[in-house]
Amino acid sequence: MSGVRAVFYRELVMLWKKIGKLGYVFAALLYPLIYLFAFGLGMGGRQGLGDGYLPFLVSGIAGVTVMLNSFQQTAMSISVGRLYFRSFQSLILSPVSAGEIVSGILLAGLVRGLISGALLLMVGEAVFGVSVANGLFLLGMVVGALCFAAMGAVVGLLVTDVDEISLVNNFFITPMIFFGGSFFPLSNLPEFLAQVAGLLPIRALNTVLRAATFDGEVMLCLSLMLVLTIAFFVWGLALIRNYSE
Amino acid sequence: MAPAVKIAGVSKTYAGSAVVKGVSLEIACGETLGLLGPNGAGKTTLMKMIAGLVRPDAGWIEVFGRMVSGRSIATRSLVGLVPQDNNMERELTVEEALTIYGRLFAVPCLTDRLTELADQFSLANVWRKKTGLLSGGTARRVLIARALLPRPQLLLLDEPTVGLDPDVRQELWQIVKKMEQSGKTIIITTHYMEEVEKLCRRVSMLCAGEMVWLESVGASSGAELNARFVQLAKQVSA
Repeated sequence: MSGVRAVFYRELVMLWKKIGKLGYVFAALLYPLIYLFAFGLGMGGRQGLGDGYLPFLVSGIAGVTVMLNSFQQTAMSISVGRLYFRSFQSLILSPVSAGEIVSGILLAGLVRGLISGALLLMVGEAVFGVSVANGLFLLGMVVGALCFAAMGAVVGLLVTDVDEISLVNNFFITPMIFFGGSFFPLSNLPEFLAQVAGLLPIRALNTVLRAATFDGEVMLCLSLMLVLTIAFFVWGLALIRNYSE
Repeated sequence: MAPAVKIAGVSKTYAGSAVVKGVSLEIACGETLGLLGPNGAGKTTLMKMIAGLVRPDAGWIEVFGRMVSGRSIATRSLVGLVPQDNNMERELTVEEALTIYGRLFAVPCLTDRLTELADQFSLANVWRKKTGLLSGGTARRVLIARALLPRPQLLLLDEPTVGLDPDVRQELWQIVKKMEQSGKTIIITTHYMEEVEKLCRRVSMLCAGEMVWLESVGASSGAELNARFVQLAKQVSA
């Protein structure tokens, strides 16, 4: 466990250094906040959802925020450390096991997701008077953040050029933002597209974030995210164990 | 006595180009070995393979009787690598970077050890400075201090004095000498013949990934070594 703590500490110190920087703030918070203000102000009163559009939107953008921060920031931190500054070498050289390295990185990804998600919720409540957080919401944020951090860790370890992360963002993350049920219900999509979008992990996260009670669908969505977390954790483990520059 | 490092037929290829070709070498405990070679000779790749950052395509490496492959945790506490470039987290201060490294290596009494190294390497005036803003010589001192933090038995110095002013180079030589006197096994890659003569007991020449010769320092005069080095470098560039 001391290895996990050491890696987690390293990631948190580095996160703390970045938190005040404009580039980080924009990527982590301003981007989702722009969505929140644009869709909230522009469409807030127009959609006829059961509990209103704004709670739907705030939950959805909280999901997007968790995804962006846990995935992108984890992937960027690893890939830049590996390929550009070479600072990732200190983890590989250290007597910390692969499992502890991946666990520490995932925990830091969880913190990244939770901090930004919480800030987004605060803005949602302060500006739009919408409060969506409950126990299930918190559970969803935690499981979702771990899931996307695990994906980010694998992508960060796999890319051979930092620019390749843009490819993942363009072809994987951006479609998830817009087709994963964050801004509108999947039922608004053509049936085929709705079925495909239903398989996306962000849709599972959104479902849990919006659930009022713990039912079968919530269980299924949590299970999907947990299975993905475990699968990507094991993949990350293999990548660290076979690390070679 | 078992050697500190045993390298057996190690090879590495990148994108179809062989960078290290069947290198075999043994380094005794407490020995300082110089790895000499022109640019692209495979020195850094060999050092990274010993440290466990690069996996060989063929052959194997043992450090203090333990295989390096397979990310052996046992060997990692025994090896300190000083890379050619500053690979510290640029946004962190010297203190933060060293603290993180110490925690990763679970260094006991870390605060005391940091104070000791800060004194030994005269780091007090840069302690709160960001590592990305350090001059070349200071960064090299911090990197050596960082490598020594967990008290490794084997120290790998990859071109430790390249690009440094002569006075800083002399200072680093003194540090290496002290480390040798404390019983550490040291491998240094370098372009400088003078460095080999001053610091090393044996010298090995790598050229285009192959080990061309290995001999004790003093077996040939510095001028002879230099002439052979220049000749080989010319052959490679031709």
